[in-house]
Amino acid sequence: MVGIVDVALPIISMVAFSILTIPVFRVIHKSQHRTVLMLAWFSAAFIVSGAAVANLTAKYYSLASPPTPLPFLNITLTGEPYTTLSSAFMIDAISIYMAIIFIAVSAVVVFYSLFHLSSDERPSGRYFAIMLMLTAALMGAVFSGDLLTLFIFWEAAAAGSGFLMIYKKTRASLNSTLKYLVMIIIASAFIVFGLSLVYGLTGTLNFWAVRDALITLSNKNLLLIAFIFIAAGYAIESAIVPFHFWLPDAYTAAPSSSAAFLSALIDQGSYYVLIRVLVFILTPPAALNWTFMLAVMAALTMIVGNLFALIQTNVKRLIANICVADVGYNLIGITSVTATGLMGNLYFFLIGGITTALSFMAIGLINRYGFKTLEDFSGLGWKMPFVSLALLIAGLSFAGVPPLGGFTAKFLVFTAAIEANLSWLAVVGVLTSVIQTAYVFRLVNYMYGRRPKDETRIAESKRILVPIFILVGAIIILGIYPQIVFNLIQPSIQQITFFP
Amino acid sequence: MPYSLLLVFILPTLGVPLSYFAAKKSTKAAGILVALIALINIGLILSTLPTIASKSIYQESYTWIPILSARFTLFADGISASIAIISLVLIFAAALFSINYMEGKKNLPVYYALLSMLSIGLVGVFITSNLLLFYFCWELMLVPAYFIIGGWGYRESYRAAFKFFIFTHAGAVFVLLGIGAIYMTTGVTDMFVAQGALMSFPDIARWILIALTAGFAVKMAIVPLHMWLPDAHSEAPATMSALLSGVIISAGAYAILRLSLGTVFPAVAGTAFGSSFLHGLAVFGVISAFFGAFIALVETDIKRIIAYSSISHMGYVMFGLSLYSSAPIVGAITITAAIVGTVLHIVNHAVSKGLFFLSAGAIMHQTEKRNIDEMGGLAGKMPFTGASSITAALSIAGSPPFACFVSEFLIFVGAFEIISIDGFYTIPTVFMLIATVLSLAYSLRFVYRVFLGQSRSKNLEQEGEGEKKVVDVPNFMKLSMGILVIFVIILGIYPAFFINLINTVAII
Repeated sequence: MVGIVDVALPIISMVAFSILTIPVFRVIHKSQHRTVLMLAWFSAAFIVSGAAVANLTAKYYSLASPPTPLPFLNITLTGEPYTTLSSAFMIDAISIYMAIIFIAVSAVVVFYSLFHLSSDERPSGRYFAIMLMLTAALMGAVFSGDLLTLFIFWEAAAAGSGFLMIYKKTRASLNSTLKYLVMIIIASAFIVFGLSLVYGLTGTLNFWAVRDALITLSNKNLLLIAFIFIAAGYAIESAIVPFHFWLPDAYTAAPSSSAAFLSALIDQGSYYVLIRVLVFILTPPAALNWTFMLAVMAALTMIVGNLFALIQTNVKRLIANICVADVGYNLIGITSVTATGLMGNLYFFLIGGITTALSFMAIGLINRYGFKTLEDFSGLGWKMPFVSLALLIAGLSFAGVPPLGGFTAKFLVFTAAIEANLSWLAVVGVLTSVIQTAYVFRLVNYMYGRRPKDETRIAESKRILVPIFILVGAIIILGIYPQIVFNLIQPSIQQITFFP
Repeated sequence: MPYSLLLVFILPTLGVPLSYFAAKKSTKAAGILVALIALINIGLILSTLPTIASKSIYQESYTWIPILSARFTLFADGISASIAIISLVLIFAAALFSINYMEGKKNLPVYYALLSMLSIGLVGVFITSNLLLFYFCWELMLVPAYFIIGGWGYRESYRAAFKFFIFTHAGAVFVLLGIGAIYMTTGVTDMFVAQGALMSFPDIARWILIALTAGFAVKMAIVPLHMWLPDAHSEAPATMSALLSGVIISAGAYAILRLSLGTVFPAVAGTAFGSSFLHGLAVFGVISAFFGAFIALVETDIKRIIAYSSISHMGYVMFGLSLYSSAPIVGAITITAAIVGTVLHIVNHAVSKGLFFLSAGAIMHQTEKRNIDEMGGLAGKMPFTGASSITAALSIAGSPPFACFVSEFLIFVGAFEIISIDGFYTIPTVFMLIATVLSLAYSLRFVYRVFLGQSRSKNLEQEGEGEKKVVDVPNFMKLSMGILVIFVIILGIYPAFFINLINTVAII
């Protein structure tokens, strides 16, 4: 039986490690073996919370009794069934899957950050404490069972990520973080307003109770207003196109390790919240017909993201714009509200996350030698062969070239669009992915097709290549044999009832 | 033999790291390794022929992505086995040719690894019936090809490679759209199963047909979509040009035959749309044949002449494909002379054009020139290359007893069969007959300008001025060209092996 302890354990252990990180760093900073000790500390953190997630997964999957799908488990603090305002956790196959990928990707990014930051400045305990805390908040968000709990955990993660952006305290990062925080505050105001309307309409905030109440709702005017506010709020947080301006600035000004963390976890978390709240709980298309609006936003996001990436000469900014474009591809899946679309989204959360993280990590290493613009990247393929190879593979995955993971993700969302009678959206998707190929290959042309100014080979730090190549391996393996992930996604497809 | 087709995938995959490390020691070993793997793969495909002869199709199926109903399905039948064999022959020849041709270039370990990687997709695309796996292989050809063209090509090679990648990838995303639509409407990703399932969706099938054919036509370089080909073919190293022109663009033709015409077309066959679609193919075929031949007549760059002749020949293949007008019965088609001719032309064109490009590469390697106005009289200095070029040129021109004659003849036989049913084909057939005269013209021009007559270049005459003396090619190049010469002649004199093999096909 899954109890409250099982659910809270991954979160609590993460929080505990996060709080202890600062004193522990004080102590080990004086030691001679501080790299080894830091590695050991974070390994312990991820092993403990990973074990807690594994325990939860095992217990949850032991409830399976095919052919009936896995249950949605509501877990409250007191063990009693939920009442109107009680905060509750909910476990289903999606939240288990999200928790697993968050822990795994967070571990890789944290280890990368450890090497990335320690090499040029004093390792800051606070920075890593925040990373662990954000991972804990994200796990809280995926396990939450009512809109209020979700709001609290998710806003903690979203607002907390400002600390990662501001880390270097440069003028640009202060500006962009300020911009980000203002956007987040506006977004949360919108969301709170929308949620209060929903509470007024339904008298509850629990996911399933809200959903049942809304589907049978007769007068939908207030719901429409609530939907607009909530959708706008979450659209700001996940950088959907009219509200995307903060993202390229913030990711470019942040240190690469932060950008990797933000793109792989916070960004994916925001789509998760969007999909969970808008599509499957608040307003399934049966309750409110919003398909066309989101489809237009998806198309705009893909077009704008890719066109802006096309004109970039700063490579880090180019990747940040790909993050915007990826939101559009994710939105196709969200908009279609089909099993394939949900599968595509869940797969995209992992693949899109690790591909952007990989490119930011590679660029972090490259930037260290002062190579920032496309022109600087000339001939990099021969100067820094390993990290260029990683960036090449990330680029090919973005462009959707099989057998890399990005291909399978795009295939799923495009077929989902065709299935949902949104073929035009699929056509926009493939055309924009041609643009994507164009700028990715312009970068590749610079890296391999041009002569560098000086041809000396740069020694790449081996330990920083380890996390980078873990992600490269993941992209290749998940591309050739995606069934590894689909085994975790499949139960969630069977669980959710899709509305026609 | 069980697992033989799976091994066709696995061996070159293992070959990627092996050839990389072998080339670090000796490039000769790496070239021989890649050639050897191709040779073993030929043997593996030949081992399926008894099954093909008795059951008309040989299949293997492995678990892959159950949730997408995608299995790792490999098959070989008359059409795919013959094209796969000829692709492997070209890879074999290209690998041997590389040993001398690539000597002294940079980063050769990467080159051999890429060549090995290329051969996975290049052969895989012909022997899979799963649409997703097909698309995997289809795109797997692209990336190694991009880097081989860019990294070891001539002049602005990365620009040509970029153009090649963008064009063919843009085509491929439409293929992806088509494949997605097939999966969505039928719920299956196997091309043979989808054929029957699509029969009840003629309206969607129409769009799928257009998307797939447009996507494949880019790879095939049919005229309005051909812009990438002359650059890519002429800037690429000779081995890559041979593979590009011989196999990669033919993969487009194969895919149109298998997927557009085989899987999707039956759903719209017999309708007005179906016949106007085929007529459209014929028109584009004629335009490509003429366009390519005319430009080949006036080009002066030896590789661009051959590149444009490829466009012209893909026009023939497209014309042959347009003669596909079997009755819309799933699972039972009559193999017409046109289908046999088209597939045979893919095979014959592959060896002839491969030989042609390798010979051109040999000329460029030995003389370091590429403009035919600076050549002439080379036959005396490079007799072996001269003989092989003339063989290739005559085959491309369609003169007996060389390979392409037989297949062009069969295509025209098929065309005359169709004319009695559908009068539309009269004019295209006449035009195609005129186009053969043009291809004779540019082939003879090539031979005359390069090998016969007097040398027009000062440097070639006065070899004392620090220029190296022009001699014939080294042995490995001779070997690989010699093998292809033998193929071109044998396929011309005794085409029965492939014709019989193609005739065993029961389902397209």
